[in-house]
Amino acid sequence: MSTRTSLRSLAAAALALSGSVALAAGGTITGKVESTPAKFLAETVVYLEKAPPTGGAQSHAMDQRNMTFEPHLLVIQAGDSVKFLNHDSVVHNVYSPDNEGYNLGAFKQNEERSYTFSSAGSYTQLCSIHPEMLGFIFVAPSRHAAAVDKAGGFTLRDVPPGTYKLAIWNSHLKAPAKDVTVTAGGTATVNFSIKR
Amino acid sequence: MTNRSNALARLTAAAAVLAIATPAAAIPAFARKYGTSCLTCHTIYPKLNPFGEAFRRNGYRFPGVDSDYIKADQIALGQDAYKKSFPNSVWPDEIPAAVPLSIGFNGQALVSPAKNSSFGRASNGAIFSLQNLVQEGHIWAGAALDDTTTVWGEITFANDGTIDVEHAQLLFSDLIGPKHAVNVVVGRGFPTLTQYGPHSSYIGDQLVTTVPVTGIYQGNPDPWTLVDNYDGLEVNGVVAGRLDYSLGVNAGKTLPGQTFATDNFYGHVGYKLGGLRLDGEGATGMPDPLHPWAEDALGVFAFGYQSNSRFAGVGGGVQNDVANVFGLGARGQLGSAELNVGWYAERHDHGTADYAPVTAQVYYAELSYVLYPWMVPVLRVEGSSLHPEGGPTVEDLHVMPGVAFAIRPNVKLVTVFNFERASGFPAGAGGAAQAWQGGASAWGPMQIAPGATSNPSEFDGISIFLAFAM
Repeated sequence: MSTRTSLRSLAAAALALSGSVALAAGGTITGKVESTPAKFLAETVVYLEKAPPTGGAQSHAMDQRNMTFEPHLLVIQAGDSVKFLNHDSVVHNVYSPDNEGYNLGAFKQNEERSYTFSSAGSYTQLCSIHPEMLGFIFVAPSRHAAAVDKAGGFTLRDVPPGTYKLAIWNSHLKAPAKDVTVTAGGTATVNFSIKR
Repeated sequence: MTNRSNALARLTAAAAVLAIATPAAAIPAFARKYGTSCLTCHTIYPKLNPFGEAFRRNGYRFPGVDSDYIKADQIALGQDAYKKSFPNSVWPDEIPAAVPLSIGFNGQALVSPAKNSSFGRASNGAIFSLQNLVQEGHIWAGAALDDTTTVWGEITFANDGTIDVEHAQLLFSDLIGPKHAVNVVVGRGFPTLTQYGPHSSYIGDQLVTTVPVTGIYQGNPDPWTLVDNYDGLEVNGVVAGRLDYSLGVNAGKTLPGQTFATDNFYGHVGYKLGGLRLDGEGATGMPDPLHPWAEDALGVFAFGYQSNSRFAGVGGGVQNDVANVFGLGARGQLGSAELNVGWYAERHDHGTADYAPVTAQVYYAELSYVLYPWMVPVLRVEGSSLHPEGGPTVEDLHVMPGVAFAIRPNVKLVTVFNFERASGFPAGAGGAAQAWQGGASAWGPMQIAPGATSNPSEFDGISIFLAFAM
């Protein structure tokens, strides 16, 4: 083994070790959401209530393509910004009546607008020119938030050890928040059943 | 043409007219909307089970939140969030992605063992009369525009070429107060006079027997009848799940050439003891899930109606006929057995051709038992008594045993034996019997009464009714 190879191996081992330490520092919350009716399941977010913000502000994108908002549901952290894009050949608008409300005006194909979400909460995303269009931006207190998958599953990784309130948001349905305790390297399982 | 031929022609024509006027119900568009079977709401359609009655009362909406149950794709004409920015945006709603239409056909065959019976005379002596086996085609439409707004309509095509918009209604629900308490219905349809759907009969087309008094006496040429589809506005609702009411105004019949305005007012109030709530809310399940139609319950109702008809008088000018109606009814259900009874008195101040007053008393009773989900034996009785001032009393009684079959959830066959006794019927200008245009079953009972000179009692014949919808 050459010196160069030895150094490379050593560096790789150090990197792996540091990763293990980082993972070991946090735990995982996983679970499943059952929705009644099931048709609203896709508009569900599971998040830690009252968790402090994680990391700095980030920028995300929500596209308008084929007369729909993509993604249909975007989960971000308070302080993040979202770039709204228009890839349709028709003029679109970005508008929300929720919370402080915003109206980013009309913009044509390949134009974009940006908005910074300073407050946590859910924002219905509308296009006033095409009233059938609908999207959601869920602004969580921290990055410990996730939209559920098609089966209703969710996973929050790297959650610092501690006891939290795990809350759930849905566009139409609800369920009370649940207490969850996260241990370093451990996995806590929490299931929800949401309904009217 | 002989007098006898004339009479037969008139009777046959009257039968055809009545058949055209036959309203129908059952709307597979709702089955598509919710992705559910007809049997969710019906036993043998159009008869509704308790859940179906609640669905109808709620403005064709499920209990709870209607949109939770909609499985068909919907296209939003505006997302719900636009309600937050009203009045700076149009109040949003949605429409079904697929046109919410359904079609159906119905008609009847008549078997007339006796050539001189009502059926036999109407069929020119034929024992089997199949010419009306497919008599009507229907297009129904039913859709939710949002959780509180429903549209529903029905266009009927008859085999004589006539086309009739029988229903076209907008139903606005839960307008103020507690849920289901105040709803508004605008458009053309049946006035709500009872606690139950207008077609709540297994062998009749309508629950309440209709007697067109002025038609019998050739009074008002634009006759109003108690149960028919009229343009109007109605407020109705269910309070505390057990009390139902309606108040409405409608235009009555408006035939071509009869341009005089009419104003008719009506209302009903009812109460249900036991069983599913009238609005279907809070249901915890039926006593036996294998018999979803069954419950132990008693419903009672009373109704009133005033019709103010104006029409061209014989000697010129405008004549009027005011009819006042008061009625009572009840439904008692014990498991799969159900008894419906009702009575009403109807008084016209100018009901005859000479503008004389006429009073009618009408009653009906229908006893049924769901033997199997697809077979319901029924006994229905309809009777009426007409008392024209200065004229002979007319009595008519029909006894109709029958069986309704659901060959499939959306295919039905009904067989009815018609026994009739009538007396004092007014003769036409030529001395022949007048066509009897009453009854709840346009395919047979009370359709054509025995003539004034014929035997007052007879076995009219057997009517076999076929209907299918999809």
